[in-house]
Amino acid sequence: MINSDSLALLKTGDKTLFSILVRDHHRALIALATPIVGTSEAEEVVQIAWGKAYNAIAAFEGKSQIRTWLSRIVINEAKMQLRARKKETLFSDLGSTDSDSDLLEDRFSQNGHWETPPANWHYDSPEALLMGDDLAKCLERILTAMPSNQRAILEMRDSSELPFKEICNNLSISASNARVLLHRARAHLFKLVDHYQETGEC
Amino acid sequence: MLKCREVVNEADQFLSYDLSRSRQWRFKFHLLMCKHCARYIRQFQALKNATPFMHPKASDKEVTRVMDSIDDQAPSL
Ligand SMILES: [Zn+2]
Repeated sequence: MINSDSLALLKTGDKTLFSILVRDHHRALIALATPIVGTSEAEEVVQIAWGKAYNAIAAFEGKSQIRTWLSRIVINEAKMQLRARKKETLFSDLGSTDSDSDLLEDRFSQNGHWETPPANWHYDSPEALLMGDDLAKCLERILTAMPSNQRAILEMRDSSELPFKEICNNLSISASNARVLLHRARAHLFKLVDHYQETGEC
Repeated sequence: MLKCREVVNEADQFLSYDLSRSRQWRFKFHLLMCKHCARYIRQFQALKNATPFMHPKASDKEVTRVMDSIDDQAPSL
């Protein structure tokens, strides 16, 4: 992690510090680019974005998280790639909210109250909740299986921490659609963690 | 009283104070009365906090590949 002392040094173009950024954020940025440009292009997009980020690092003001700042560069680069390939929309199922039902629905009884309430989760730190080798594989599988519009919103909002409005603009979808998609994506994760916490497997 | 299903569906708006004042109040009241929803909201928030860390760190090989491509670039300054 980069703290405020090392930020000044990072902004001078220090390559050792920059390589720490790459280590911490590269996989997240690939995951961000994947639902936009597809698996095969994502790595190249992120590679180019890193070059641009390195050249622009002196302009990073620390007003947002560095992950958010890097994410904007990746999204811009991804959009440029799409334009170059003359693809207009990011994904075919863009605003569609009907490809997947509400995952937590079966946890409620007919009167709308919990029938199967959430398990009581145990974890050592906020970061630890989604870590762990067993969970990582299931997480990867669930993210890959998610409709790409859900995944894009989840990555942009909860991993890259972009403002909600900016995401709607980026994807040209309404706030209400975005909210439904985000809700479903989070329900996927919630169900995974809940099951893992209760049974120790996923 | 709100239904638990409504609490789950509006959790995000509740946590970002996006509900009307009266609905926000009814929400709080529900959480005082319903331990399942109180737990849901607590764990929902924990999950959101953990999501930025869901991606593992890059391998040495990946880091090297990126740093090499930066070295190859012509300096922009
Ligand atoms: Zn309840």
